[in-house]
Amino acid sequence: MNILKVVTLILALLRAPLFLVISALALLSFYAAEIDISVVIIEMSRLADTPLLVSLPLFIFAGILLSESRAPLRILKFSRIFLGWLPGGLAVITLLVCALFTAFTGASGVTIFALGGLLLPALLKDGYSDRFSMGLITSSGSLGLLFPPSLPLILYGVIAESRIDHLFLAGILPGTLMLILLAGYSMTRESSRTVRKKSYSPREMLEGLREIAWELPLPVILLGGIYGGIFVPSEAAAVTAFYVLIVEMCIHRDIPFKALPGIMSKSMVLFGGILVILAASMASTNYLIDQEVPTRLFEYIQTYIDSKYTFLLLLNIFLLIVGAMLDIFSALVLIVPLILPIAIGYGIDPVHLGIIFLTNLQIGYCTPPVGLNLFLASYRFERPIAELYRSTLPFLGLLVITLLIITYFPWLSLFLIKILG
Amino acid sequence: MLSLACVQIFMRTVLSSGLLWAEPLLRYLVLWCGLLGALKATEQRKHIALDFSTYLLPESAQPWITLVTDLFCTITTAGLSLAAWIFIKNEIEFGGTDLLSLPVWVWNIIFPITFGLMTLRYGIRFIVDLFDRFRSLPPNGSQNQ
Repeated sequence: MNILKVVTLILALLRAPLFLVISALALLSFYAAEIDISVVIIEMSRLADTPLLVSLPLFIFAGILLSESRAPLRILKFSRIFLGWLPGGLAVITLLVCALFTAFTGASGVTIFALGGLLLPALLKDGYSDRFSMGLITSSGSLGLLFPPSLPLILYGVIAESRIDHLFLAGILPGTLMLILLAGYSMTRESSRTVRKKSYSPREMLEGLREIAWELPLPVILLGGIYGGIFVPSEAAAVTAFYVLIVEMCIHRDIPFKALPGIMSKSMVLFGGILVILAASMASTNYLIDQEVPTRLFEYIQTYIDSKYTFLLLLNIFLLIVGAMLDIFSALVLIVPLILPIAIGYGIDPVHLGIIFLTNLQIGYCTPPVGLNLFLASYRFERPIAELYRSTLPFLGLLVITLLIITYFPWLSLFLIKILG
Repeated sequence: MLSLACVQIFMRTVLSSGLLWAEPLLRYLVLWCGLLGALKATEQRKHIALDFSTYLLPESAQPWITLVTDLFCTITTAGLSLAAWIFIKNEIEFGGTDLLSLPVWVWNIIFPITFGLMTLRYGIRFIVDLFDRFRSLPPNGSQNQ
């Protein structure tokens, strides 16, 4: 039985779908423990009792709609007109726009594809160095992960059974800190070149404003709705998806009606891929909890580490490695159920833990050798991947500094909840 | 038909969020939607997977890896189908009723359907792989990969 498990794990490294690897392990474990294997399906069917699950496919759908439309173009144009005065110029705009876009589309790599192609030539034209521009875009590709309504935040809420509205609030300050640090760095890079700012006529400004008028209220509707108590988060997902659908299809007419089934099937495939991993891990987690693995793991770790801070440091290192190897959804689904009870044992707030998790996994996106963003950027811009390693390095350093701040100052994540929650 | 389910989710939440049966129905729809999506992902080979084989192993080994992983997928999905089948059988025998006074097993019938179809797909893929392997290894030993 153990040999079969080892074989399964080896296959996991060789392109076998992850959900089948986990399912196979669960089936084998239950079979070996002489428990009826239908338990696996019973656990999977419990997914239907998760109320938050509904928001996942709806936000995925809204995100894909947004990225298939010309919304990225409009957002960029609007920001260039109205935020062009900011010190740091286009680099800062890049950070803001990427963060906003990632928050709404989830971190599935669409940011680099949808915005990177527009931003890179613009950055180069504004006199930024090639290396800086590539690094900036590559590391911005997963930047908005901490801002609502990002999919990984929701997924963490689903797995950890935390309150989504709390998680949404918790991400705002750490996310902003990250933006400020990166923007500060970008400003130092700008001063070395000749600043040339274009001014816009009032007519152009009005034009830009008119174009974005329908997309601009989206964050307000979403957050205002949730914190104004008008709707619960899962309804917010439906409202967002419905709103985006109407705006992109009927008002801007970016997406023809016959493209809709394609987009729907695309979102179903993405959601299906996440759902089966979630389902499979519910079964395997149940087995692990049944065998008291998290408790034993906690006791084992506690014999070596008694400080919460050392634990957090080790957790960060562990998660950075995981983040560089696994994609964010499977990493969350697999690791959170194991770590959460241990972290609670050390007195760490589950919401704070969620923010630590996401920050780590976000950094993992740009960590060599296998960070996803590096591959996407290398593919999109047709550059060798080693060149991208070098260009993302300074950004990576800054992100790690933010990570340390986020980890060791829990109030940064929990402050807004205390005030507003 | 698949897209209809998505639209339905939509209409239900937006239009009838006050209705008592809408919420559980929505959850089952999400489950169905997701599993059908997973089936589609199987079709398009879009499942989330780690791929180290491209770095670790030589090009000539790649088709063999595909063969082995497809075999593994067939066996595992067959196992899941069996588990789902036992689950449904137990539910038919002992299960209660759920939403819209339909028995629980009706709402969960999607599990054996999805996993069954996945087994079929991986099985066919495996047989095709096998066939390709034997055809690409003719007596003169030249590989046409």
